[in-house]
Amino acid sequence: MRIITQSCEECGTVVAANELERRRVMKCPGLDCEAVLRFSDLDPEEQEHFLEHSEQYQI
Amino acid sequence: MKGVILSGGTGSRLRPITHTGPKQLIPVANKPVLDYAIEDLKEAGITEIGIILGNKGRDAIQRHVGDGSAYGIDVTYIVQGNPLGLAHAVGSAEEFVGDDSFVVYLGDNILKSGITDLVESFETGEYAAGIALQRVDSPEQFGVADVDDNDNVVRLVEKPDEPPSNLALIGIYVFSPEVFDVIANLEPSWRGELEITDALQGLLDDGRAIDSHVVEGWWKDTGKPEDVLEANRLVLANMETRNAGTIEADADTTGPIDLHKGAVIKDGAVVRGPVSIGRNVSIESDTYVGPYTSVGEDSMIANGHIENTVIIGESEVTSSGKIIDSVIGRGANIGSADELIPEGRRLVVGENSNLKL
Repeated sequence: MRIITQSCEECGTVVAANELERRRVMKCPGLDCEAVLRFSDLDPEEQEHFLEHSEQYQI
Repeated sequence: MKGVILSGGTGSRLRPITHTGPKQLIPVANKPVLDYAIEDLKEAGITEIGIILGNKGRDAIQRHVGDGSAYGIDVTYIVQGNPLGLAHAVGSAEEFVGDDSFVVYLGDNILKSGITDLVESFETGEYAAGIALQRVDSPEQFGVADVDDNDNVVRLVEKPDEPPSNLALIGIYVFSPEVFDVIANLEPSWRGELEITDALQGLLDDGRAIDSHVVEGWWKDTGKPEDVLEANRLVLANMETRNAGTIEADADTTGPIDLHKGAVIKDGAVVRGPVSIGRNVSIESDTYVGPYTSVGEDSMIANGHIENTVIIGESEVTSSGKIIDSVIGRGANIGSADELIPEGRRLVVGENSNLKL
């Protein structure tokens, strides 16, 4: 199973794509970081892969 | 070498304690379990550490560890989100790990003897992974490793009816970055999770060598209240006396006592170590604190009898009843009903509590 992540450019916190997709747009979960992370910031190929296999990323 | 500490999970077996915080911050001998993992990694020379966060307790863990400078480490937080399995958590760390080898340490585990020997054993050969093992009496309840005469893993079996050995996997692993290729090809198991044992088996199936190291000394997974008490007992049993507080002249103390700054054992109190008494704790007169007890910061114990118990902190215990084998959450108030009419116990108890009256 391919695991896709994105790093916050402000604080370096790494966020798994399943977390990004769940919220689509989210405040960075890094404490006191005000950056906004978006699922749409992922590479288009990564977004497509994730959405095609979204059932794998759910509990 | 880098370190990855897994700090997700719901802590469901530790409710109600974990209703208000992550299990990795439950104190054992007045130190959060997570700190033991950090110290073991640092002792092994690992100072770049990724902490995997789940859906619960993210902010609390970040507030506690911060940027790691207080520990002399550099921390990167990795948000796994949904608990999709240990191998998914490990895979989420690929960006952080890069081309380094790395130790994976379950953040609710405590080892007596640390991980230095495991890391050194892994580094002596061309291994794709190293696993920590411990001899157990009932291997059929664990993941079990079959190893050859050179301690190389031959196969792994999950909860076998006929165990090939009594060597159980504990929650500490070393991986080369090769494991990420294996994880990328894993499919979720029947329970919908990416299993770390499947990743290890995948490495074996690819013909890669896996080292094993048998951990001597105790190991505890602190997943349940009785495990927290047992870990507390094991840590306190090896503790030395430290006194940064005050023991009044007519207090009766024996055995090892770890007395933190601002703590006081008052005249007429009886304390039998090994005991850990946190910052600004007051043990009042006519109080007995017995062996294998940890009292967390800003608590007050009066008139009671407490032993083999963990009080997390900011609590008052003024009941004259005996309290043993208990885990008491932060901010609890246990008073006396002796003078109340009608006679009887008064309880305000949270969900998932477990009481024996």
